[in-house]
Amino acid sequence: MDFELGPAGEAAMRLVFTGPPQPALTRALLKIETKANQRFGSMLTDSVIGYTTLTLFFSASALERDRTEAWLREQAEAIALTDDSDPEHSAADVVLPVLYHPSVAPDLEWLADDRSLSIDDVIALHSDATYFAYATGFAPGFCYLGTLPAALRTPRLDTPRAKVPAGAVAIADAQTAVYPCESPGGWRLIGACPEPLFNLGNTPPSRLSVGATVRFEPIDEADFRALGGVVA
Amino acid sequence: MNGLQIHKAGIASSVQDSGRVGTLSIGIPPSGAMDRPALMSGQHQLGHQHDEAAIEMAYADFAAILTEAHDVVVTGAPVQLRINQQACRSEGVHHIEAGQTLEVKATREGIYSYLHLSGGIMTTPQLDSRSTSPREGIGGLDGGFLKDGDIVPLGAPDKAVGAADPQLTIKNSTTVLKLRFVAGFQFDDFADEAIRSLLAEEFTVTAKANRMGVMLNGERLHSGIAALYSEATCYGAIQVPPDGKPIILLNDRQTVGGYPKPGAVISSDCLRLAQSRPGQRVRFAVCSPEEADRIGWLEQHYLETRLRDRH
Repeated sequence: MDFELGPAGEAAMRLVFTGPPQPALTRALLKIETKANQRFGSMLTDSVIGYTTLTLFFSASALERDRTEAWLREQAEAIALTDDSDPEHSAADVVLPVLYHPSVAPDLEWLADDRSLSIDDVIALHSDATYFAYATGFAPGFCYLGTLPAALRTPRLDTPRAKVPAGAVAIADAQTAVYPCESPGGWRLIGACPEPLFNLGNTPPSRLSVGATVRFEPIDEADFRALGGVVA
Repeated sequence: MNGLQIHKAGIASSVQDSGRVGTLSIGIPPSGAMDRPALMSGQHQLGHQHDEAAIEMAYADFAAILTEAHDVVVTGAPVQLRINQQACRSEGVHHIEAGQTLEVKATREGIYSYLHLSGGIMTTPQLDSRSTSPREGIGGLDGGFLKDGDIVPLGAPDKAVGAADPQLTIKNSTTVLKLRFVAGFQFDDFADEAIRSLLAEEFTVTAKANRMGVMLNGERLHSGIAALYSEATCYGAIQVPPDGKPIILLNDRQTVGGYPKPGAVISSDCLRLAQSRPGQRVRFAVCSPEEADRIGWLEQHYLETRLRDRH
């Protein structure tokens, strides 16, 4: 697989693969990340996995560019995407309950109309799939999940909403996600998850992490309320 | 309770220390003082560890009363300081008695000033830091900017220290601020014309500047790059959204993003940018990673020398 190596500012190194995102690549990036933690210890202050990238952050005075780059090149060259297990047809690590109802999902009816589907069709399409966590970020606990069934793919809103509530289940392009906390957001909202996804008191604080498989389970309003969900 | 009762918080005051390390992977930015040398010099003057917390004030317009006697120091962007309605010089360590008022007001220079208090700020650390990340609601006092009426808990002051007075105020360029950047990310994919403009044209700091980043005005940069897969950002990253106006990402940045970036400004120039008022002219220049290392090392050495223990 083709890759590029380069600096991400003065204290980080970036490894990017030029192909499309795929679970096998994410798993390879996770492996390199684990090895980097062993190799560099406390010199490595942080690392972030993107759809096709791994960025390693070093304490500024500890980064030995040439040696780090040589080591990363070796790791990248050794990557063989032999892992052909398909997460979209395997058991999910995390199952999240979701109330799919217009009272908590302002774009649900619009989406059904736009696709000439019934709301039940939309729910079935969204909740039958198993998703893979490709990246985290945007907000604490926010996880980019793919791949959304083609029939549901839709562009972002032209003007993002100033306030998306915590727990909103959202879609954009080929991705889906749950907003862990109230924030601005431009994705379309098709449901609400009553379970918290981020809590600093937990270890780890985030319910979802890169490499996890996730499924959504439709629940009714009574269950939603019983799990702590609030219907406006 | 031993505390600082805030009567007037100003537009964006918050508790900040040297920031968080190791939280990017869970989507939390480092936050921390926008002007780190100013934080370090004030804490040094009170005999504290250099990375302890102070109150950061943007365009300071701040008034408070102390419930107990403390020593205070103000660093960073120059201010007018009044203690018990008496104007006093802003440099150095001041002793303030219980019940006296403290007023800090910005002058016409710089943005971020720091109020340091002996005994230290005793808000509860989160993820090993007292720094406030307002968007995430983490750290500081209840996770947010300070408000009128807030009481910031303080520790019992040690004996007055009165260390040497290394004023590490950043003197901003009256002409053009140079922003040296390490090329990377999508630099090679940017349209030639955009890179030419980036390197040849002058830009100005706009009013759209805060702890997350600073938007610049000038020649629009059209990267010619379509959608990108979200990836890690970094301190100083030059983010170019579709409108072509570059944003330099700073302490409270989002940890990942999908906009093209031709590189990242080195930290020593980011500090100066953070302290720049709207209208400041800036120019970009490419800097090799090795040169960035040398500048970083020299600046760190300078700071350590200036802040060496002298008592």
